[in-house]
Amino acid sequence: MYISKLDELHRRAFLKRSAQMSALGAAAPFAVNMSLVSDAAAFTGSGDFKAIVCLFLLGGNDHDDTLIPYDNANYDLYNAIRGGGAGRTAGGIARAQADLASTVLNPLVPQTLTNNMQYAMHPAMTRMKARWDEGRLASLLNVGTLVRPTTLTEYRSADRVRYPLPFGLFSHNDQQSVWQSSAPEGATSGWGGRLADLALSSNTNSIFTAISAAGNSVFLAGQSAVAYQVGSSGAVRLRNGNQNVAGSATAFNMMREIMTQPDPSSHIFEGEYNRVTKRSVEAEAVYSTGLAGARPLTTSFANNGTTSGIAAQLQIVARTIAARQALGVNRQVFFVNMGGYDHHDSLISGHSNLLSQLDFAMDAFYRATVEMGLADKVTLFTASDFGRTLSSNGDGSDHGWGGHHFMLGGAVRGGRYYGTAPEISNTGTGQVGQGRLLPTTSVDQYGATLTNWFGTAPSELSTLFPNIGNFSGTNLGFLG
Amino acid sequence: MLSRRSLLRLEPAASAESGRETRNSVVVQRDVQQQVDHVTSQKNEDVVGQATPSASIAAPVLTLALAACGGGESATAPVATAVQTPAVVVKKAASDAEAVRFLTRAQFAATTADMTRVKDAGYISWLDAEIAKPIGETAVANYKRIGGEDLANTDYFGTTFHTQVMWQQLLDSNDQMRKRVAFALSEFFVISANGLNAVWHGLGLCHYWDILNKHAFGNFRTLLEDVTLNPMMGEYLSLHGSRKEDTRTGRRPDENYAREVMQLFTIGLVELNNDGTAKKDSSGNPIPVYSNEDVTNVARALSGWAWQGTTAELNSGSPSTMTGYVQRPMTADPTKMLYARSSSEHSLLEAKFLGVTIPANTEAEPALKIVLDTLFNHANTPPFFAKQMIQRLITSNPSPAYVDRVAKVFANNGSGVRGDLAAVFKAILMDDEALSTSNLTSQTFGKVREPFVRFVQWARTFSMKKPTSGRYDLFDTSQQSSGLGQMVFRSPSVFNFFRPGYVPAGTAIASNQLVAPEFQIINEISNIGYANYMHTIAASKSNPNREPDYSAEMLIANDSTALVNRIDLMMAGGQLSQATKDRIKQAVDSIALPTTNDTDARFNRVAAAILLTMVSPQYLIQK
Repeated sequence: MYISKLDELHRRAFLKRSAQMSALGAAAPFAVNMSLVSDAAAFTGSGDFKAIVCLFLLGGNDHDDTLIPYDNANYDLYNAIRGGGAGRTAGGIARAQADLASTVLNPLVPQTLTNNMQYAMHPAMTRMKARWDEGRLASLLNVGTLVRPTTLTEYRSADRVRYPLPFGLFSHNDQQSVWQSSAPEGATSGWGGRLADLALSSNTNSIFTAISAAGNSVFLAGQSAVAYQVGSSGAVRLRNGNQNVAGSATAFNMMREIMTQPDPSSHIFEGEYNRVTKRSVEAEAVYSTGLAGARPLTTSFANNGTTSGIAAQLQIVARTIAARQALGVNRQVFFVNMGGYDHHDSLISGHSNLLSQLDFAMDAFYRATVEMGLADKVTLFTASDFGRTLSSNGDGSDHGWGGHHFMLGGAVRGGRYYGTAPEISNTGTGQVGQGRLLPTTSVDQYGATLTNWFGTAPSELSTLFPNIGNFSGTNLGFLG
Repeated sequence: MLSRRSLLRLEPAASAESGRETRNSVVVQRDVQQQVDHVTSQKNEDVVGQATPSASIAAPVLTLALAACGGGESATAPVATAVQTPAVVVKKAASDAEAVRFLTRAQFAATTADMTRVKDAGYISWLDAEIAKPIGETAVANYKRIGGEDLANTDYFGTTFHTQVMWQQLLDSNDQMRKRVAFALSEFFVISANGLNAVWHGLGLCHYWDILNKHAFGNFRTLLEDVTLNPMMGEYLSLHGSRKEDTRTGRRPDENYAREVMQLFTIGLVELNNDGTAKKDSSGNPIPVYSNEDVTNVARALSGWAWQGTTAELNSGSPSTMTGYVQRPMTADPTKMLYARSSSEHSLLEAKFLGVTIPANTEAEPALKIVLDTLFNHANTPPFFAKQMIQRLITSNPSPAYVDRVAKVFANNGSGVRGDLAAVFKAILMDDEALSTSNLTSQTFGKVREPFVRFVQWARTFSMKKPTSGRYDLFDTSQQSSGLGQMVFRSPSVFNFFRPGYVPAGTAIASNQLVAPEFQIINEISNIGYANYMHTIAASKSNPNREPDYSAEMLIANDSTALVNRIDLMMAGGQLSQATKDRIKQAVDSIALPTTNDTDARFNRVAAAILLTMVSPQYLIQK
C-alpha cells in the first residue's frame, strides 16, 4: 500500500529527472556539474545558503528522561510510575524533582500544555536549556512514525487495510528506516536524499549535496543524489598521498585503475563497489582542497580536552559548511548519529552521560554556525528509532513509539513547544501499553516543516513524504 | 595451472585420531539419507556427496572405496539398500581454482594440503574431517596463557588481551573451518565489546567465542540456550537481572532479550515460507510473526535470571576472584547468584506467546525451556537461519530453492534430528548452487568478501609471523578510515555491522531488487581505509612482529606472469579478469630486479601483486 505508492512517486520523479539528465548527457549519479538541471517544480535553492542536519539518536531515546514532567501533579505521576522515592526524590528510573529545578523549560510565549504540564530538560542539558531561553531551541512533542492519524481504537483494530500502521513498530532497524524513509529496512531512498534530489540543481558540485559523517544510512539516499561519506577527519586519501605502492609509482597508478575502472562486462556488485571507490577518489581531491582552504573555525568541539564521537561528526559538518563556496554548494543535507540510547538498563547513569555529550556537541555546533554567520541558515534536528515505555523494567525502559525531539538553529522559533504533550499515564488512550506513546504528530509533518524552510514547494511534499496527504497540517511552524 | 608444487608450503596433515569420538553411526546414517534425498531430487543427473565414516578420516582412499559400494559397508543398514541403485560419484574439486573456491568459503584461506585433499578425496571427506577436528586451545585458555588474568596487566576492565586472543584464535588455530563458522555465528548471535562494561568482560567474550566454537557443529537448540544464558549476553541484552512485575509500581520485566531472541536469533519479524520468502496476506503485505504482546509475555517467561557466583567472590574486593562468573551460565536460583537475592525474581504469572501458554506458577527453568523449544521448533527458524548462513558463506541472494534445501536439512538432518549444524553447514557448502561453475559468470551471484575475512585470509595464506610471546601485535580493526571497518565482537549494535536485508540505495543492486548486506559498510571512507590499511600491513616490513612470509612467492617473483597467477589462485580462486591481471603484471614489472641482492625487490613485487589483487573487484566480490 504506502510502499507501492512511494515507489510510484519515485518512478515518476525519476523518469522526469532522467529525461533532464540524459538531455544534458549526464547519466551517472556522480555528475560534478549539474547546475543546469532544473526541476519543473518549484524548489528554490539559489542565492543564499541553507543546510539541514539530521542528528539520529540510535537505539530509541528515552523521551521521558529527556523532557521530564516538573510541575507537582505531573511529576508525581511520573515519579510513581518510574519508581521514584517518597518526597519527590530519586528512585528506580525517576529523577528527583529538586534536580530538575535549574533546567525547567518555560515557554517564551504563553502556552498551556496538556494537564498544565511543565517540563524540565534533563539536568545534564544545561546548554540546551540556555539555547531554549534564547529562543534558539524548540521541542516537538510526541512525534513518531505514522501512515495516517491513528487512535488507540484504530491501533487495536484488526483492520490493517483501513488502519495501516508503520511496518515493524518497536523494531530498531525497521523504525530507524521508517523514520528516515517512510519504509522499513530495505528501503532504497530516504527523505533527506529525496530532498537532496530536488536540491541538486542548486549546487555546482552535486556530489556534496548530501553528506554523511556517520556511514551509510537510507536517510540520505535519493534517486539521483548519492550520499557522500566523510570521516570525522574529513575525506581519506588513497595511500595517504604517497603516490606509490611498494615503492612504485606505476604500481600505485595500476592500483588506482583497478579500484576505479571496473571491466565493462563485470558483475553488478563489482561495478558498484568500484563506483563507490571512484566517487571517493574523485571527490576527495575537491573536498580536501576545499576544506584546507576554508577559514579555520575557532569554535572548540572538545569538552575538557575530549572530543566525543558526536562532537567530532558535527565538527566535520561545520568544517564542510565553512568550505561551502569552494565546494560549490548552496543547499546541503547532512546526517550524523550517536549510538547507545537503547537503555533497557542503566538508564539513570547511561542516559546522563550520553545527553551530556549531546548537549555539548549540539551547542558547539550551534556556536560554530554563529561564528560562520550562518546561524539562521543551518537547522539541526534530532530523530531516533522510537520513544520508550514510561513504565520501568527496574533500571531501564523498553521500546516505545512516539517521543520528543529538538530543533536547534537561528531560524528556529524556539523557546516553545510544538505538537501535543501526552498525559503521564501508562493506561490512558494516548499510549498503547506501558506508556508507549501513540504519536500525535507524524515524522512526515516534522520533515515537511523542515523541507519547507529548505525550499521545497507544497507540490513536492508528496514526493518527499508519500503519506503526507493523510495529515492536515504540513507546516508545524517551528521555522520562521 | 601452476605445477610449482615445490614452491608451495606443505601444511601439516590433519590430525586423524582426534575426531573419532565425535562421529558415530547416527551421523553416517544421516549423511546417506541426505544422499538418497539428493539423488531423488536431482534425478540422478548429478554427482552426489558421500558419507564419510570416521575411519575414513585417516584413510580417504578407503572412503572412496566404500562410496563405490554405495555405502553398504557402513553401519547404515536401514537405508543402505536405497543408495545402491543410483551411481554415486564423490564430488571433488576439478582444479586448483575450484579447490580454492570451495576452501575460501568453508574456511578463511586455502592451504596446499587442503587443496590436495578436496581434489583427491572430495569435498565431503574434507568437510567430515574438518568437522571432526578437535577444538584447539580455547580462547579462555589462551587468555590465561598470555597473562590476561594477571592483575598487573589490569585487563579486567579492558579488552586488550581479549583482542590479542581473538587474533590468535583466527590466525593460529588448526580448526579453520570451525573458526570460520564461529565467526559467521558471531554475526548472527551478535554480542559486542561496544556495549559491555562488566568486570572481566574481555574474558567473558572469550568464553562466548568458545561457546560458538563448541556448538558450531553441534545442535542449534543447545547453542541457543548457551547463548541465552551466557552472562555477557545477559549483560549485552539485559536478561541478567531482569525482574518480575511489581504490581504496586507498575514495573514489569525487561523486554530486550525477549524481543531480540525472536527478531534476530530465531524467527525474524514476518512469517516465512520454507524457502525464506515472506508469506503475504490477502492485501499482499507481509504478516508479522509476533506482536508486542508476545514480546511482553516472553519477557515475563524469561524473567528471573542473573549472573551466577558467590557472595565471597563478590566481596573479596579484588578482581582476581571475579573471573569465574563470566564463564558460568546465568542462574535463576536466587541463592546461587553473584548478587544473591532473598527470593526469586522470576514471574509466576501466566505467559502466552505465539499460540503457546506457559501456565501460571511455572518456574524459571521450565519456562525457559518452553520458550526456547517453541522458537527452535517454529517453522520460521530453519529458513531464517539457513538464509543468513548462506549469505555469510556463499551468496547474498540465494535462490529460494537453495534456502529451501538447507532449511529442510535444518528441520531434519535425515535422522530425524532438527538443528544439526554440521549437517546445515555441509548442506550450504555442498549445494549445487554453491558449487556450480556456471555461477562464475553470473552478474549477480556471490557476495562482498567481508573486510575482516579478507585480512584473515591474507594473514593465513602468507603465514603472518606468530609472536613468540603469544600476544599478537594487532588491534581492533573496526575503524573505517584507518582499519578494516570490521572486527569480530566489535559491531556497533546487536544488528551487526550489516543487515541481511540491506539494499545499497541508488545502485544497480537496488534496481535489480537484490540485497547486498556487506555493502552497508562499503563507502567512500571504508574502501580507501581498507586499501591503505592493507598496504601498511602487506607491503611494508615496518613491524617485524607481524611480518608476512612471502618466501615461496619470492622464489617466482622474477616471473611476473607466474606470480600474478599464483596470487590470483590463492586469494581469488583464479577469478581475476584478464584486464586486472594485466594491470597487476604491469605493476609488478615496474619494480626492477637488481642483478644482485634482490631480496627487497622480490618482496616488493610480491607485496604489490598481493595488494592489487586484494583491491580488485573480482577478488572483493566472492563468487
